[in-house]
Amino acid sequence: MGVSGWFRFKGRSLFSWAFTFQRLTGVVLLIYLLAHLTYLSTLLDKTGATYESMIAITVSRQFLVFDILLVLCGVFHGVNGFRIILHEFGIAYEYRKPLLAIFTVIAVVVWLYASYIMYSLTGG
Amino acid sequence: MVRFKIRRYDGKKSYWQSFEVPARRGMTVLEALYYIKENYDSSLAFRASCRMGICGSCAMKINDKPRLACETQVLTLGNTVKVEPLDNFKVIKDLITEFDGFFEKHKAVKPYLIRKDDNYAEPKELLQSPEELNEYYVFTLCIKCGACYSVCPAAATLDECLGPAAMTAAYRFCADSRDEGQKERYEIASSSNGVWRCHLAMECSEVCPKNVEPAKAVQLLRRKTAFSILKSLLRW
Amino acid sequence: MESTKSVMEPVAWIFQMLTGLVMILLVTLHFYVTHMTSHEALKYAEVASRVAQPEFKALYAALLLVVSFHAFNGLRAILLDTTAGMRKKGAVSALTMLAFLLAFIYGLYLLFSI
Ligand code: HEM
Ligand code: HEM
Ligand code: SF4
Ligand code: FES
Repeated sequence: MGVSGWFRFKGRSLFSWAFTFQRLTGVVLLIYLLAHLTYLSTLLDKTGATYESMIAITVSRQFLVFDILLVLCGVFHGVNGFRIILHEFGIAYEYRKPLLAIFTVIAVVVWLYASYIMYSLTGG
Repeated sequence: MVRFKIRRYDGKKSYWQSFEVPARRGMTVLEALYYIKENYDSSLAFRASCRMGICGSCAMKINDKPRLACETQVLTLGNTVKVEPLDNFKVIKDLITEFDGFFEKHKAVKPYLIRKDDNYAEPKELLQSPEELNEYYVFTLCIKCGACYSVCPAAATLDECLGPAAMTAAYRFCADSRDEGQKERYEIASSSNGVWRCHLAMECSEVCPKNVEPAKAVQLLRRKTAFSILKSLLRW
Repeated sequence: MESTKSVMEPVAWIFQMLTGLVMILLVTLHFYVTHMTSHEALKYAEVASRVAQPEFKALYAALLLVVSFHAFNGLRAILLDTTAGMRKKGAVSALTMLAFLLAFIYGLYLLFSI
């Protein structure tokens, strides 16, 4: 069937969306971790010039949209991951539906707050 | 008249076919399928037996959701009813899917009481309190319809994955106070095709027609399996 | 083979959960330090002086360990969810764990040579 089986939403509940997003954001964060380690290699230049020219790009306005999407991935994965961990250890299984709704709202609120901070950083 | 759009498969090609069915109040999708078979096309193939939600033969995708055809009333579904075979199963013909693998997985978890003192010549009564029964009662209600398996994302990509129903059966017996086979079953459940393949998507609990909560059973089984293995590791 | 399999899986599962919990704290802290303490937090001098402090070194080493394991063990779980991945179960586990170690060691090398 292939991995399209992870992307079937017709007739499914929100739980299937949460599963798929957890997986997608996990992979995005994995790729980001590799990119992060790669660009931190610029710190090896002790004059700081390589690092400064790199960081100037990543905190620029043009880059903001990527940063905000990345933070969305991080926040969703972390918040939804916490929900999964609770259930994995047997906590609040009976409240899984309200919990999914509450945690999704929390993720959006935290994301908007973090986006605002990053926006004001580049706004400088 | 209600329009039935049925996903058909004749062994070679797969196609949609529509039928008009005069729906009465209280008529089930299963009755509608029998109506089509009797009046329009006798070659239409589907599986059913009890007609009362107890045998688990008639699970199929009705308007995109897996449900029991015999327990779904046509008039609750609107003017068009889409009927398809379950996902995650190989289709044999029309709405009939291959269940051999599904039942094999069920057998693999040893879904019966395992006792050290088995003696058929002199059977002994095994007592159990209502509290002990409640530990696993809800998980006994499974009718092996396969609805949960059809929406499981792990089963979608891994053929050998045990799936929610088999793991629920494993937990049902492990949690039974009369059972002494936990160790054997934890070993089976802890194989790579077992509990570790569940990511708590929990869609299985959403679609189960018997409200068995298979996701809860898998999660309980995984916790017990993990801790039983970790405990034996630390001692050794 | 039987026994390595049944030991690897539960240990990996429980660490995936525990590292997730730890990261909620560490990633939030990391974001706080790099974005919310001052507007200069991402300047080279600031980064270099932070990383020179033993507390921060320890913090980053911990974050690095936890995140590399979690990410590559997550990748391992995804690959093993497929029939193709499961057919090469041993290779999938070995390669993802190797990648975890490489990421961790390279990060440590960075941490101690900045
Ligand atoms: C911030 C705290 C985090 C928490 C609470 C968390 C939690 C989780 C949990 C509970 C899972 C298991 C889901 C499952 O069984 O399918 C998971 C999977 C995963 N995580 Fe995280 N995580 C966090 C951060 C990260 C980060 C920073 C990365 C990458 C660098 C990452 C990468 C992954 C990957 C690749 C998976 C596998 C996805 C899957 O199996 O569907 N996670 N995470
Ligand atoms: C856009 C957001 C981020 C920025 C701007 C950022 C920036 C930085 C910087 C400048 C450092 C060097 C240490 C320091 O300045 O204190 C660093 C280290 C580190 N960051 Fe991030 N980071 C971000 C997000 C993340 C995320 C989401 C993760 C988790 C996957 C992460 C994991 C790490 C790790 C493990 C280190 C230590 C690396 C080492 O010592 O080799 N960072 N980050
Ligand atoms: S757990 Fe529910 S959905 Fe799954 S086979 Fe049993 S009755 Fe059907
Ligand atoms: S025919 Fe038996 S469950 Fe529907």
